[in-house]
Amino acid sequence: MRKLLTTMAVAAVVASSMSAQAGNTLRIGTEGAYAPWNYLDDDGKLAGYEIDLGNAICEKISYKCEFVQNEWDSIIPNLIAGNYDAIMAGMSVTDERKETINFTAEYFPPDPSRFAAAKDMEFDFANLKGKKIGVQGATIQADYVNETFGADNDVLSYENPDQSIADLIGGNVDILMADASFLEPVVNALGSISFVGEPVAIGGGVAAGLRQKDTELLKAIDDAIVVLKADGTVDKLIKQYFDKGPFFAQ
Amino acid sequence: MDWLLNSSFVQDIPVLAKPALFNLYFALAAIPISFPFALVLALGKNSPNWLLSNFSRGYIYAFRGSPLFVQFFMFYSIALSLNQAYLKPMGIDHIVLHPLFLGPFVLTLNSAAYAAEIFYGALKNVPRGEIEAAKAVGMSGRQTFKAVTWPNMIRLAWPSYTNEVIFLFHATALVYFTLPVINEQKDLMNKAGELFEKDYALFTHYSVAALYFLIISLVLFYISNLINRRLNRHRVQKVSKLKVRPNYVR
Amino acid sequence: MDWQSSIEYITNGKHLAWYASVRFTLIAAVLGALFAVFFGLIGAGLKQSKWSGLRLIGTVYTNMLRGIPDVLFFLFLPLAFEQTVEYFLAQASCTSAELADGSTWPPCADAQWYLTTTEYLLMACVTFGIVYGAFAANVIHGAMQAVPKGQLEAAMAYGFSPKQIFWNIKVRQMWVYALPGLSNVWMLLVKATSLLSLLQIPDIVLWAERLGAANYVAFKGLIHDDWRWKYYLVLFVFYIILAYVSERFFNWLQSRAGRGMIEVR
Repeated sequence: MRKLLTTMAVAAVVASSMSAQAGNTLRIGTEGAYAPWNYLDDDGKLAGYEIDLGNAICEKISYKCEFVQNEWDSIIPNLIAGNYDAIMAGMSVTDERKETINFTAEYFPPDPSRFAAAKDMEFDFANLKGKKIGVQGATIQADYVNETFGADNDVLSYENPDQSIADLIGGNVDILMADASFLEPVVNALGSISFVGEPVAIGGGVAAGLRQKDTELLKAIDDAIVVLKADGTVDKLIKQYFDKGPFFAQ
Repeated sequence: MDWLLNSSFVQDIPVLAKPALFNLYFALAAIPISFPFALVLALGKNSPNWLLSNFSRGYIYAFRGSPLFVQFFMFYSIALSLNQAYLKPMGIDHIVLHPLFLGPFVLTLNSAAYAAEIFYGALKNVPRGEIEAAKAVGMSGRQTFKAVTWPNMIRLAWPSYTNEVIFLFHATALVYFTLPVINEQKDLMNKAGELFEKDYALFTHYSVAALYFLIISLVLFYISNLINRRLNRHRVQKVSKLKVRPNYVR
Repeated sequence: MDWQSSIEYITNGKHLAWYASVRFTLIAAVLGALFAVFFGLIGAGLKQSKWSGLRLIGTVYTNMLRGIPDVLFFLFLPLAFEQTVEYFLAQASCTSAELADGSTWPPCADAQWYLTTTEYLLMACVTFGIVYGAFAANVIHGAMQAVPKGQLEAAMAYGFSPKQIFWNIKVRQMWVYALPGLSNVWMLLVKATSLLSLLQIPDIVLWAERLGAANYVAFKGLIHDDWRWKYYLVLFVFYIILAYVSERFFNWLQSRAGRGMIEVR
């Protein structure tokens, strides 16, 4: 058994040294199910704001970009485990996340969270009772909804955004809370859904997450983001994907 | 002694106690319906009626031939697509789409197919001589079934059925991979995964979860053994105890 | 949708990726089965060992799945496997100071084992092998017991060593007795491949969800709403067909293997 393990270890060393030779590859973990941030287009290829931005960052720091699709709920553990070097997945900066990972400069201003519900529904958010509220698990919205409405309502946590939208359309949740930027295209495309209540500001801006020990990489990406903000690339991409802004033009 | 009590292994035991009850609930809620349903399917497969026999045959084949994981996804999405048109107007959507209902429901459909195959096999092995003897003393078909076929079938099927119940209990681990989590209603896999994502202590959390599965499996087995003894109490020759070695065949 | 746009729809890149992802399912099933037979032979060998220590290991191994769900192993084993590999990498490439530090895992960057779909798939196959190897070990153990005593005695009379008897008689002869059981293990394994998405492999189940989810790309508006049940229905049928084909294949194999043997059913 020991021999077997050693053989495997040697094989892995060879594999990893090979990947090191390929050199200067930035692996970016993303969910691929969070339009318009990151999603799969009809060709089955990753697309979205963060894919374009990630490629622009890589170009600036002379790295080769490689996107890795990963489920949301294991996206931080798998960064730490080293399956990729950065997370770009519409992730808001929060104090809790800062305990385990580092964030680069923000590439999207704080995005308010919004509630969506079936059209023509009214809710009294001050005294919300007995409702089914949907969120994606392990998000800032999940924490917020649990704290604010958890005592008197049922909170349904979904593994991925698609499931939460499906349950909103299907009527299994009364209200869905998510990032406004994510909900807007949904509300626009689906006639049966509309926004309810007031937007809520929860997290910080959106940034790329890195392992805490990768300080040099952090510096490099930070610098690249600053340059891309200054030359208007970030604003242009935000305009293209979200029809918003400009936020960072000087 | 303190180090043991303070070890994360021991501390996990109370944390995972409530989640273990969810797994137990899913199995126990499924058994009372899957058992009679399986009997109906087994008798159906054995029936001379072409339609009944082929329906049962097809049902058993389909549910044994496809993965439970896919069945969960399929039934959840079917229920969801029926929600707006049928379930909501009938006012049963809160029940039907609830994991505490839908979980046992899909487990029932799945487990009944496996159990039906077991009962069918037992039915084929009921001693012919006893049935002929019953006919010879002038028993009606119904009497024969009640006095001869039924008790023999249950007795013959019991060891394999026990095996199926244990498999059913293990299958409950899949429920929350496919259905939304409501509030703090989490099962062992769910909670162990959540704990793992916090501190990456792989061995601790999963082995405590495994321990719970193991202990509950043994308890189920013990109970089944008591029933087995009762089923065989009339037999003259010494009945060997059910060994903790059910067939692997599912 | 008219038929033309329907065909266009089901042959777009996303759908082609779905059809292509069947390869993960098939590779995992076939490689997993080979590993399962490998671990099954080891397990059966351990169970018949002369030394009680090895017998105990064999018994624990072949019994572990009776009390613990296979899903738990699927989540646990790949992670454990990754950490084991990184442990050896760390021994080989990290400095002793880094090893002693212990605050981060792995201790140094060189010990990082990058996992792509290929590595995940390999780990999934090994995991399937270990888990279903426990099942296969029981089948193989039983089949070896079923090899007629006369054949073993004849071999002994010809002066075969115990090792030769094990490999040349028992292992050679037991297959025909093991086939029905192994076909059962295969069926379980095929169904277990539906769990590949839990191991970060974009298999048919994961693609079905991606394709079925409401499609509302910002520029084009809504293309279709939640269609997941249709895609899952396709998967349901696909797995049933796979089970049917497997069953036919094993029946054929059984009829071939059983040629000239009267006792075997």
